[in-house]
Amino acid sequence: MTVPLGAYVVVSTVLFFIGCAGVLVRRNAVVILMCVELMLNAANLALVAFSRKYGSIDERGSVFVIFVFVIAAAEVAVGLGIVLSAYRNRPVVNVDEIHQMKG
Amino acid sequence: MPVGPFGIDPLIWAPLRLVIAVVLALFLVLNGALLQIYLERKIQAIIQDRLGPYHVGPFGLLQTFADALKLISKEDVRAAATDGWFFVAAPALVFCPMLASWVVLPFAQDIVGANLNLGLLYLTTLGSMTVLGIVIAGWASNNKYALVGGLRSAGQLISYEIPQILALVSVALVVGSLSMVDITRSQAGPFVNVLFLPFPFVIYFIAALAETNRTPFDLPEAESELVAGWLTEYSGMRWGTMLALSEYGNVTVVCAIVTTLWFGGWQGPGVDAIPLLGVLWFTLKVYAFIVIMMWIRATLPRLRIDQLMSFCWKGLIPMALVNIVVVAILALAFPTTKIPIAIASWLLLAVFVAGIPLVQRRRLRALRARARAATAPAVRAAS
Amino acid sequence: MTYDFVEPVVFALLSIGLIAGGVAVVMLNRITAAALLMAFTFLCMAGMFVLLGAETIALFQVLIYVGAITVLILYGVMFTRFSDRPRALFFQRQTPLAAVFVAAVAIPVAIVALSFTSPTPRPGGGDLVPLATSVFTDFAFPFEIASVLLLAAMVGAIVLTKRDDPGESALRRRR
Repeated sequence: MTVPLGAYVVVSTVLFFIGCAGVLVRRNAVVILMCVELMLNAANLALVAFSRKYGSIDERGSVFVIFVFVIAAAEVAVGLGIVLSAYRNRPVVNVDEIHQMKG
Repeated sequence: MPVGPFGIDPLIWAPLRLVIAVVLALFLVLNGALLQIYLERKIQAIIQDRLGPYHVGPFGLLQTFADALKLISKEDVRAAATDGWFFVAAPALVFCPMLASWVVLPFAQDIVGANLNLGLLYLTTLGSMTVLGIVIAGWASNNKYALVGGLRSAGQLISYEIPQILALVSVALVVGSLSMVDITRSQAGPFVNVLFLPFPFVIYFIAALAETNRTPFDLPEAESELVAGWLTEYSGMRWGTMLALSEYGNVTVVCAIVTTLWFGGWQGPGVDAIPLLGVLWFTLKVYAFIVIMMWIRATLPRLRIDQLMSFCWKGLIPMALVNIVVVAILALAFPTTKIPIAIASWLLLAVFVAGIPLVQRRRLRALRARARAATAPAVRAAS
Repeated sequence: MTYDFVEPVVFALLSIGLIAGGVAVVMLNRITAAALLMAFTFLCMAGMFVLLGAETIALFQVLIYVGAITVLILYGVMFTRFSDRPRALFFQRQTPLAAVFVAAVAIPVAIVALSFTSPTPRPGGGDLVPLATSVFTDFAFPFEIASVLLLAAMVGAIVLTKRDDPGESALRRRR
């Protein structure tokens, strides 16, 4: 009794939407970045699960996952750079208060 | 219907095997740490022309037992403002990746925990998990010196992972496999890999000194800097776990990687007849490198954090990149023989060693001028 | 006795860990705890990859996410101080909109996903060789573009966080 493919996709969906809800609801910029990472991870899980659907490894799924890793790492670095330099300008990290380019 | 060894039900054998592996690894780590603390103190003492421990036991051999007993019986002091669960979890986060990396080290012909076909990648991955534990330890101490020490140490570890991984990858390129057992087996007889790839060996050894926080890269944990850095608030057995066990365990793992990749691992005279002799050769080679690391610790002064970082990013990483490009091109151009790679690698090593005075010539000239100016009045007064 | 029950049990445990970690990241007020539980989520994800037979991807996941991205996020958490009242968490303006959106999209997706009932095969042989061959032959050009992307990200992060040292800018002006 192996695990059906749908189970992996459901777990990936649930995790993706938890991350999505986090991005929409949380106010701290760093926590929003963390939730974006969760969403990227969920997408990776779906990619790897589908690349095994037809018996042999379809390596294109895994290659795409590697590129998603690269993009996620680059995005966290630049995103944190933006958050930290905005924090240096005005010490707030609450996204409700830094949405106006004033001050 | 699979049957486990000794006729045990495989369902019981799988977790039992895990327990045996963990216990064995813990045993090796604990005894290794005890032996290495003693060796370190004795070797530093000999180099510094003094005696070292000699009271407790013959030649002071039981000194580390006494120290361990003292550490275990110490009061568990925890500052009230430290961050709860993190303070307690940080030693575990630092210790566990090191313990988990013992499983792929090949001790003898068939004595390896798990012959992963990704053994080398597994080891580098576990090395990068230690960084998390150190950052948490620095943060949880609620002490600005500990925090700065932890972040500095994390920065150092992350930076020096890069030349480490590049050097390991160049060896994997030549051997053709990431499995530790295959790498050992690819070094037939006396033609060990260091004869073909000395330059990655030097790069990896220097990067590994930095990865394990050993001198000359031990600024984050040195006693005279930053009040012992990120371990300031840890005392007793917490300190024992994080510093002694983790660091010496890490040193052993790193020296085991060096032995396996460049010096033939468990191979040596007489191994074909008695396979268990491999364990002896492996241990001797690993401890030879550990003694070399301790020798370096007793000899070289410490680098400042900016010197350390600039050495990594402006020195080691370009050399590691050049190395990997050269090895990759030659491995592709001459797939059957290793001689061109050997020639290129020794040439690169010579360039690296000879290039240091060249790159630092301005500083050397300033130092020589200053030394001449300092001794000039003394010489004039003496003549 | 067959040992087929091991895989679904491990899958169940890992998915509970994943979802619990995700919920904790979204709902916890202590950001450092949220960051560590995010690292735990990444570790469970690596376990899922191993369960699917993608060991190389699992090791890359731990190396990149737990080893580097978690440390970056912890640096971000340590350098910023968040001043927010805890009870304001779920009473934002967007909360009803978020709930409607998530329900409207997630539920149909999950229902469709449950129709994939084919068992996930676990191909043997590991995935290192097909992955490496593919990256360096079919996908060599995107691989190089990814390197350029990383270089751009590095330069961007350094430029964004470079501190304006008054002594250094005075020196530059003088020169």
